[in-house]
Amino acid sequence: MTAVIEARNLSRWYGNVLGISDLNLEINQGITALLGPNGAGKSTFMKIITGQLKTNIGEARIFGEKVWNNRHIFRRLGFCPEDDAFYEELSGFEFLAGLLSLYGFSSLECEQKARQALDLVELTDVADRKVRSYSRGMRQRIKIAQAIAHDPEVLILDEPLNGLDPLSKRRIIKLIKEFKNSGKTIVVSSHILPEVEALTSEIILIHQGKIIARGDIYFIRDLIDTHPHMIRVKSPQFRQLAQTLAGEDYVLKMAFEPLEQAVVFETHDRDRFFNRLNEMVLTSPIIIDEITSPDDNLQAVFDYLVGK
Amino acid sequence: MKPEIQRVFSFYFFLKKKSSRSKMFFLLSSASILLALIIRFYQLAGQWTESGQIIFQNILMVFFLQFLIVILALFYGTSIVSEEVEGKTLPYLSSRPLSRASIIIGKYLSSLAVTSIMLVSTLLISYFILNLDRDFQLQDIWTIVRYALVLLLGLAAYLSFFTFLSTWLARPILLGLVFGFGWENVIQYFPGTTQKLSIVHYLKSLLPQYSSASGRLSFLFIRLEPTADWLAVLILVLISVVFLALAALLFTFKEYLVQD
Repeated sequence: MTAVIEARNLSRWYGNVLGISDLNLEINQGITALLGPNGAGKSTFMKIITGQLKTNIGEARIFGEKVWNNRHIFRRLGFCPEDDAFYEELSGFEFLAGLLSLYGFSSLECEQKARQALDLVELTDVADRKVRSYSRGMRQRIKIAQAIAHDPEVLILDEPLNGLDPLSKRRIIKLIKEFKNSGKTIVVSSHILPEVEALTSEIILIHQGKIIARGDIYFIRDLIDTHPHMIRVKSPQFRQLAQTLAGEDYVLKMAFEPLEQAVVFETHDRDRFFNRLNEMVLTSPIIIDEITSPDDNLQAVFDYLVGK
Repeated sequence: MKPEIQRVFSFYFFLKKKSSRSKMFFLLSSASILLALIIRFYQLAGQWTESGQIIFQNILMVFFLQFLIVILALFYGTSIVSEEVEGKTLPYLSSRPLSRASIIIGKYLSSLAVTSIMLVSTLLISYFILNLDRDFQLQDIWTIVRYALVLLLGLAAYLSFFTFLSTWLARPILLGLVFGFGWENVIQYFPGTTQKLSIVHYLKSLLPQYSSASGRLSFLFIRLEPTADWLAVLILVLISVVFLALAALLFTFKEYLVQD
């Protein structure tokens, strides 16, 4: 079976800056997440497969057809760009109906489809308000609505959960899953692993313009778990805490921050470390004010994977 | 009109009607009405002796021809691509089933329609305010229609040129200003064929009342070596078509980076 989205030897530079390099990829029905830190090349890939950018080398195809300057493919494709940009003087309804009119639907169809899309993203109540008065969550949802309003077969969502509150995130995740259940192909980008985990188990790790891993979430999790973690614990008895944990084999390094009354631990087994810490909180008089993970972000994980 | 162009035209005509820019430029265009009202007041008070026809021709030359059509075309034309790129709304257009050429032509026509409404409505109102006491003849109607058509031809030509600049340059406004208010103003006073390298030369050649140097603004025509009417119209139409075609071609093959 031919893949819905195919990328062959895709490379793209911005002057001397690398966007993506020799990327080969096939994406099939269901939700696929592109996961990578900012500047990894996710947006470049999405812009290429939605015909916003040309490639320097290689080609991108959707349903076997080239994308650049092929307007016919856009009837089957919905794109939600990353930027928070709109025709601010229009109401939510006008924005959707106006963009739908560009597909050649009749006025009645535009109205019906716009209302349906507004309903799906739960913005019917504010349909007649100007987009400029929308909250961040509403703006993100109306942006998704314009991508799904014409009922495309492929949906490309660039950082759809970026900057949203938890409630809005839940709504959008539910919506994307519903879309998947109706047999569509969805590509979502994100730089936050838990967001992606909530959406799909099919993940592509992308870093510095290259795919560094691809697989289901468990495979990626295993990769990430081999990465040593930094955990910073703030406590008035930080030296006593360090003394207690120094004997544990999973603690690799410790560094003191006396002014902050904190100690930073490096461990290769985060689960055991946290279990022990929980135990101490319950059984010993040590008071813990704060636990943070200075490197609990994808950039650190990617640096580790690339360095490996 | 091709259906794709028509769709882009309808969407952008609606968008432009609602935009604050259009409201601002409509107010600017209405300055001619305000001016006409003030002059009319002085006429009634007996402090302005020139006929309404002559005063109107002066307003036409200074305000409409040398200022309003240039500024309308400049701001609407140069923003055709740059407003989408700077406002980061280009992906909404370029991910729809539209040819890239139809996007440019549709946006051009919507800008032309909106600016034409501003131009013609204020032109007609100003004319009638200044000539209220006139016994209108068929000739007068033809004169004002001819003025309006000349201005519309000028607007179409300038808009087309500035649309081309918009597809070509990232920041077209500066070059547009230099062309519209620098080159166009200076070059027309050069003798010989040099003055024919401006759009305004052909517009002036088409204005009936100014084929000879006379009146208060005669200095504006002192060096005009008019082109024949049919040739002036042909050249203005050619300028409009050629630059619009170039803009559509460039937009089809050029890639526009929406900066993050």
